[in-house]
Amino acid sequence: MAGGGEGLGGGPKQKRGKSGKRKPKKRVGFRLDMTPLVDITFLLLTFFMLTTSMITPQTMEMNVPPELDIEIEVRESELLNILVRADGKVFAHMGNEEPEAPMSMKELRKFVVDKNVDLENRAIVTLKANGDAPYGLVVQILDELNAAEPEIIQGLGRNGINERKRKFTVAPYTPEDEEKVAGL
Amino acid sequence: MSKIKKKRVGFVLDMTPLVDITFLLLTFFMFTAKFRSEAENQQKFTIKRPQTTQDTAKLPEKDLVMIKVGIDSVENDTAFYLSMAGEQDIAKLAEAMVDLQFPGATEKTALFKITDSTWLGKAVEQARIVNPRAQFAVDADRRIKYRWIETAMNEMRKKRATTFNFVTDKKTGM
Repeated sequence: MAGGGEGLGGGPKQKRGKSGKRKPKKRVGFRLDMTPLVDITFLLLTFFMLTTSMITPQTMEMNVPPELDIEIEVRESELLNILVRADGKVFAHMGNEEPEAPMSMKELRKFVVDKNVDLENRAIVTLKANGDAPYGLVVQILDELNAAEPEIIQGLGRNGINERKRKFTVAPYTPEDEEKVAGL
Repeated sequence: MSKIKKKRVGFVLDMTPLVDITFLLLTFFMFTAKFRSEAENQQKFTIKRPQTTQDTAKLPEKDLVMIKVGIDSVENDTAFYLSMAGEQDIAKLAEAMVDLQFPGATEKTALFKITDSTWLGKAVEQARIVNPRAQFAVDADRRIKYRWIETAMNEMRKKRATTFNFVTDKKTGM
């Protein structure tokens, strides 16, 4: 419809000379109705805003040792076992000691930090979880162990060790482990 | 003397700044929007991921093998769901699985529902052949039993995929 208006205005005007070039008409105060454009843009904006999810999942890296047939001898006193019972109770003990009472996440963290600092990088942390324990709990423990790392590094630094070698594995939960924590 | 209200004739509002901002936002949201992949369309369950406090890496968008462990909302059973990212990888994996005569596999399958560890091992192997650079990620519901994760870890370990990621959500409200 905008084009029609122009044509009406220009119609009665006579052309100046037959051979003369057409002089471009100067448009004064040109206005374009932006309302439909804005309508559509807002519609799309709303659509994209509502469909986008801003929370992207995080990842937690895990390394498992490759399958080896060679048995590696480790000292029991350097082995830190973390046991997760089927009912979700968490126990931690050194290889040469017996587990005591179930631990809370805070206690577990303190235990891991203390032992790692005392043993000066030689501690081997092993996580053993019962097949019936919830997976969420296992990840929670892994998260706790990751969070303990800075504290361990700090503790080692106080003892004059500036290197941190982390030894961590996941091991199957054996009937012997079950026996250890059965009555606790 | 009472004030006479001035009548505004032909009231015009300059919409240019509004349009500018709207376009800016529209472009932003259009570019950041991610569309659901074929594998996600075939998924019939939702996963409640475990929450962690650690600020860790983001999940890669390609070269990824995703092993989901979820509880089917209809049949209420737990199963592994293996999928790959990227159209080419999805097609190649589907082809390989059809060759292996995986029950229910077609050329269009992007998400393989696996219930036993033997098949999981085979699928992991195929995925590694399809894309040797692919990283593995385990995305499991926090309520499932740890046994499932153990099985998945063992199968990946047997196929020499010793590094993998657990997919988690960031804990909100510190």
